Amino acid sequence: MRKSMKKLLALTLTCLMLLGLMACGEKGGDGGSGGGDTIKLGWMGSLTGDQAAYGKCESQTLIMLIEEKNAEGGILGKQIELVYYDTKGDAQEAVNVAKRLCAQDKVCAIIGPNASGQCIAIQSVLDEYKISDMSTVATNEKVTVQDGVLKEYNFRVCFLDPQQGNIAGTFVKDYLKFDKAAVLYDVNDDYALGLKDNFIRVFEEKGGTVVAQEGYTNGDTDFTAQLTKIKEANPQIIFAPIFYQDYIMMHKQARTLGIELPFLGGDGCASEVLFDAADELDGSYVINHVSLVDPSADAYRARYSERWGGAKMELNGYMAHDAFLLWCAAVEKAGSDDPQAIAKAYCEVEVDGMAGHIKISPEDHNPVGKSGCVERIDGKNKTYVFETYIAAE
Amino acid sequence: MSWYYIEGILIQSCYTLLIVLGLSILTGYTGMFSFGHAGFVCIGAYIAVICTMSFGLPYLAALLIAGLVAMALGALLGKITLNLKGDYFCIATLGVGEAIRLIFNNLQLSWTVNGKEFVLDGAKGIASIPLKTTLWGDWRALFRGEIGTFFSSFFSSSLLIVIIFVAATALLMNSKHGRSMLAVREDELAAQMSGINTFRSKMLAMCMSALYAGIAGGMLAHYFGYLQPKMFMMVKSTEYTIMVIFGGMGSITGAVLGTVLLCALPELLRAVGDWRLVMYGLAVIIIMIVRPRGLMGGKEITDLKIFRALFATKKKPTLPAEDGGGADS
Amino acid sequence: MQYFLQQLVNGICLGGMYALMSVGYSLVYSIMNFSNFAHGGVIMVGAYVGYFTLTALGCPFFVSFLLCGVGSGLLAVIIERLVYSPLRKRHAPSLYFIISAMGASIFLENFVIAAIDGTPRNFPTLFSNSINIGGISLGVDSLMMIVVSVVALLILMFIIQKTKVGLAIRACSYSEKASTLMGINGDLVIFTIFLMGGVLAGFAGMLYGMRFIVRPTIGQVTNKSFVAAVFGGLGSLPGAIVGSVLLGVMEIFVASFNSNLRDLFVYGLLILVLVVKPSGLMGKVVEDKA
Repeated sequence: MRKSMKKLLALTLTCLMLLGLMACGEKGGDGGSGGGDTIKLGWMGSLTGDQAAYGKCESQTLIMLIEEKNAEGGILGKQIELVYYDTKGDAQEAVNVAKRLCAQDKVCAIIGPNASGQCIAIQSVLDEYKISDMSTVATNEKVTVQDGVLKEYNFRVCFLDPQQGNIAGTFVKDYLKFDKAAVLYDVNDDYALGLKDNFIRVFEEKGGTVVAQEGYTNGDTDFTAQLTKIKEANPQIIFAPIFYQDYIMMHKQARTLGIELPFLGGDGCASEVLFDAADELDGSYVINHVSLVDPSADAYRARYSERWGGAKMELNGYMAHDAFLLWCAAVEKAGSDDPQAIAKAYCEVEVDGMAGHIKISPEDHNPVGKSGCVERIDGKNKTYVFETYIAAE
Repeated sequence: MSWYYIEGILIQSCYTLLIVLGLSILTGYTGMFSFGHAGFVCIGAYIAVICTMSFGLPYLAALLIAGLVAMALGALLGKITLNLKGDYFCIATLGVGEAIRLIFNNLQLSWTVNGKEFVLDGAKGIASIPLKTTLWGDWRALFRGEIGTFFSSFFSSSLLIVIIFVAATALLMNSKHGRSMLAVREDELAAQMSGINTFRSKMLAMCMSALYAGIAGGMLAHYFGYLQPKMFMMVKSTEYTIMVIFGGMGSITGAVLGTVLLCALPELLRAVGDWRLVMYGLAVIIIMIVRPRGLMGGKEITDLKIFRALFATKKKPTLPAEDGGGADS
Repeated sequence: MQYFLQQLVNGICLGGMYALMSVGYSLVYSIMNFSNFAHGGVIMVGAYVGYFTLTALGCPFFVSFLLCGVGSGLLAVIIERLVYSPLRKRHAPSLYFIISAMGASIFLENFVIAAIDGTPRNFPTLFSNSINIGGISLGVDSLMMIVVSVVALLILMFIIQKTKVGLAIRACSYSEKASTLMGINGDLVIFTIFLMGGVLAGFAGMLYGMRFIVRPTIGQVTNKSFVAAVFGGLGSLPGAIVGSVLLGVMEIFVASFNSNLRDLFVYGLLILVLVVKPSGLMGKVVEDKA
């Protein structure tokens, strides 16, 4: 018994030491303050993990834009400083990063992260710190409004899952005039689930039939079983609300199985990498926030490519560009780098971005009047062919 | 360093420590490796969230229920897998961990309690979970004179829970049961021959570690305010195991050190950007090669020279199994 | 019927790839009695070697295929030298090996992300046409995969059954201590099995890349091939092959029944096998010692 008493004593001591350490930390924390000659903008997203490609493009876009802006003299006469961290694509990491950005780096606003799950996870941190976050491609409804309650510090520049489902359903039924569709989606992914549900709802409301619904689990690479089943059901198009790597693999396997149907992918499919498998993907469609072949963005793409050694721009580059424009406008409107003033200004400014005219609604913090663009993949020329714009609502 | 940021890391260290302590009982003391511990954490998190959000139970009660449910599951799994040897047990836990996550991924349920609908929607996860996990309670409430608020938050604070469990683990490990576990780790056959019911020891270790993981899961869920099966991938289980190894098997001090260091390490290495996970992997390998018994090498802080010099205690045997796995007091 | 046969063919294709991967796990397990989780990383590096030799260097298919084998084989041997060898010298328990293997796998995966990047890469199309026999489609790349798997595994079996090195390997898998006492060079045997496992991993990586996509987080597939190795019996080569093909076929049929249950089935099967018959279909019986 004496031994355990001693051990207990030891443990209490350790804990006391730990407490002392914390007290020191607390004192240090209060001492620091923001401000200075620069305006700090935060970015977070996946630089490692499955979606590293998206995150990398976003951060590189911001670095480039900020370099350009700083060369022009910065904003409000101050230079912009980008503080950016990797979230590994992990919600848990995202919370840590958000805390670091808000509390230690004292940024005035955050752009990113590039996934809905992470955006939802960091909400409590943003509320606590009253620092706003502008999501680039987080399409889940819960990012800005949850159970009917507006999330005061969450904004986004992209359209929402229901809107994208609507675009997909309208495109297949009204534009392509197809009656039978199959869905192949990732059951692990909230993004895929949201799109699938909304597509089926809209498509069936319009009188179409979903002849097959097949799922797979995140990380799966073999879709032959599901594709064979879909082939049996004989649809006219396969809707695949997933990410581009799976989209490519699906095509490769479908063509091998003798399925020559077109696919329709969501905004997660849009990527330059698609053209590496151009032969298989020829004739399939992709929904996007902006037209990736819009000649008015040629100069922008060239700038990016030049800055980053020939790197190809992903969709995230366009969305990060728009988010950055909004932030600049909001800072100018607010006239300071006060986080709350910026959050307030987000709903008051309007900008013309890569994805058209953007105005954030004060009711739900989503952009108003978004439309989606559907493009066909031309395998021979390795490019997109613009099909149509479809209003999101 | 700002306090709020450090506090976040400390809360995370606290519940991770709880998981690692549990795993330490299973791995460090009893010598059974689990690569599916994230599964127990997952169960605990979901049960706790259901308790608070749907049934409106207080946070502490929810944690307790979460722990007990995880423990029951642990007992069930122990019953079927504990007779497996070495690698095979480890592989089985890997399967169990993944299976639990996949079940929650496919689970689509909704029910109504007291007129409030609660929806479990598979991979979409649960959002808007009330944030109840604090580091040491709401001290500000004390200054405001709200003594009741302070006490309820203080008794459910992560630090208090962790201290209680560290003490409980220390007591357990110094008891007859703890020594039996060590004996099982050193040589199961010999332990059996000296009259130890090895199955019961292993079962106890399994149940305890599941209990710890379940409670920690509840804390985790109420810290993030968001829950998704994706948060409990196999990588997490590996990370917990690495923390146990890092600190040193069979040492509570080691578990504490390993957890706090490895929770902070990715944050400290954040400056290195892309390369931090590379270094993390490298660190694990180097530790295995250079100091395989971990930081503490199976010793407790009470065994260290500096500690003994300070408090003039006698050196206790490093292998308590020598006492015949028995009498302590 | 045609549907059934098509799914069967799909399953065999999948199983063929699992077989190439799972043999590596079994080879190492048969001698060193631990699950080499770094094997997945070696496969992934093999796939990257294939991708870069094909695209950047413009090698013809067979050259880059061989280079994959060489690259992965070397990597496996290097990992053995740097990571496992010091542990082996100290007679560390097998659990330390598993942890080191996990560390090596974390290292490899993130090294590729940091040094190259996380973007998934698509192999240039090499064999795009598919064969159609009675309505059953079989891609030439899938056919290649099966042929390569069979040939590689036959060569492996030949080495193990008919050559002196193979004899040494078999001897070591019964008892490493006894065979080293009989004058067998244990280091050489371990070198050989890691080399062979690595070369097969390289081939598997190349074929994986051709059929699917190259990315640093290849993990899930290698996890399943590990399950296949356990299912067939860890440490048994024929077991690994039979287990892989069976797992592939069963997986496809479960997926065609209800695709959501696929992984649940795989891991459920793993638990079931371990509970009912831990030595798997053809594994060596584990001695009852702690």
